[in-house]
Amino acid sequence: MTAYHIADEPLETSLSAYVVRPQVPLAAAMFAGAWLAWPWFAFNAIAMGSPTRKKEVALCAGAFAGTLVLAVVLVALVRTGVITSSLWWRLGLTAIVAFKLTMSYYISTVQERTFHVYQYYGGKLTSGRVALIGGYLAREIVLGLVAGPVWAIIVSGAI
Amino acid sequence: MEERQIQVLLEQAYAQRQLSNWKGAIDLCQRALAIDPDNGKAHAALGVSLLGARRLSAALVEMRIALGLDGNEPYVHYAAAMILRAARKLDDAWAHCLIAIGDAEADAGAYVLGAQIQVLLGDRAKARELLGEALELEAAHTGALTQLARLELSVGNHATAAERALAALQSAPGNTDAHVVAGFIDLARGDEASAETHARFVLTQDGNDEGGLGLFVAIKVRRNPVLGLWWRLNSWLTTGDDGRRVALMIALFVLARVLIIVTDEAGFPTVSRVLWFVWLGTCIYTWIGPMVFRYWLKQELDDVKLDPTF
Repeated sequence: MTAYHIADEPLETSLSAYVVRPQVPLAAAMFAGAWLAWPWFAFNAIAMGSPTRKKEVALCAGAFAGTLVLAVVLVALVRTGVITSSLWWRLGLTAIVAFKLTMSYYISTVQERTFHVYQYYGGKLTSGRVALIGGYLAREIVLGLVAGPVWAIIVSGAI
Repeated sequence: MEERQIQVLLEQAYAQRQLSNWKGAIDLCQRALAIDPDNGKAHAALGVSLLGARRLSAALVEMRIALGLDGNEPYVHYAAAMILRAARKLDDAWAHCLIAIGDAEADAGAYVLGAQIQVLLGDRAKARELLGEALELEAAHTGALTQLARLELSVGNHATAAERALAALQSAPGNTDAHVVAGFIDLARGDEASAETHARFVLTQDGNDEGGLGLFVAIKVRRNPVLGLWWRLNSWLTTGDDGRRVALMIALFVLARVLIIVTDEAGFPTVSRVLWFVWLGTCIYTWIGPMVFRYWLKQELDDVKLDPTF
């Protein structure tokens, strides 16, 4: 007799030992940067066997693409002389950080729903502390990998 | 044979729901559906159990399957009304509830559910009428009496509300809903000690009872301002859907950042620095606030013991 599968029930995966609370990649978005947070969200969705994993992965990809577009537009506005003051440059950067945070919060909210059900069925969990601290320490190295403001805007954190 | 097996499993699931054992109820419904995946009543029962476990999206899926499989079954409509009420699709909930009420064998519970939907739709007169009909069917129906007490409390008729709550408790002394309403009536009358006794009773039965926790916190909020402040802030932040909460957090972030940047660029670096620290403090408070709140609440709940004289 095969058990009836409920729509929001996570699927079993071989990666379940690496699942973290969705707040951990959210914290990574603030302290380490999007380079760690969004791939981590995507990995967590797959590891958890989330029924909404396709949506979560698509949201992560959309977050990268959206940030890239916004960063290119902002840098172009500066280079073409439309933005000349540091005030507008800083406000523009704030708008991009707000977009990145919105995406991170939204992905974490979507993932949180599955996570509750995952925990409900006794799913395994790891703290993710080492990866978070490692990400925080490695952020300068990642920022320095590519020269230029567009890369820095995309991969940087919110704090 | 299969039909009988499913019937027994669904009856056991109902008993588990009465005990607020949602996991047990869900497991039993899943077992019933493993025998016959096309049983509409089993899907409806699973939907109601999932609702109890606060898995609304899955409950909605089961409700749709149940309606598709067994659209003529009054219980399926009753379950649909219950789930749609939780999803705040009140007009649809009322339409399904009407079908459940229209059934010749409808019990008082369908009328009580209808009254709850009407309260949310703002028609208290209709709700009273439905509760009257529920009491005609079953004079001492605890749900109907509790709902009437709640209605009286909402319009400030404390004495009548207390009478109804007492009747509900006499009908079913262990009914947690009736205790919650009785506790809120006591609280409204300023009798915190009695309200706390009701809350303690409910939480002794089920430490996760939403109504019991609400009552307990309502009492504690009056006594502990820090606990109360976080509870109010959290309730305000989490009211409505997730999108609203995210939008609110981002709006606060943008406002703080813009103020910090503008004051700095305008030549007031000290003001900017102060604003930055205020923002940092807000972040820390909202980050550690839930942890402190949970710690305090846990301590309070660890202390929950029923008054031996109760």
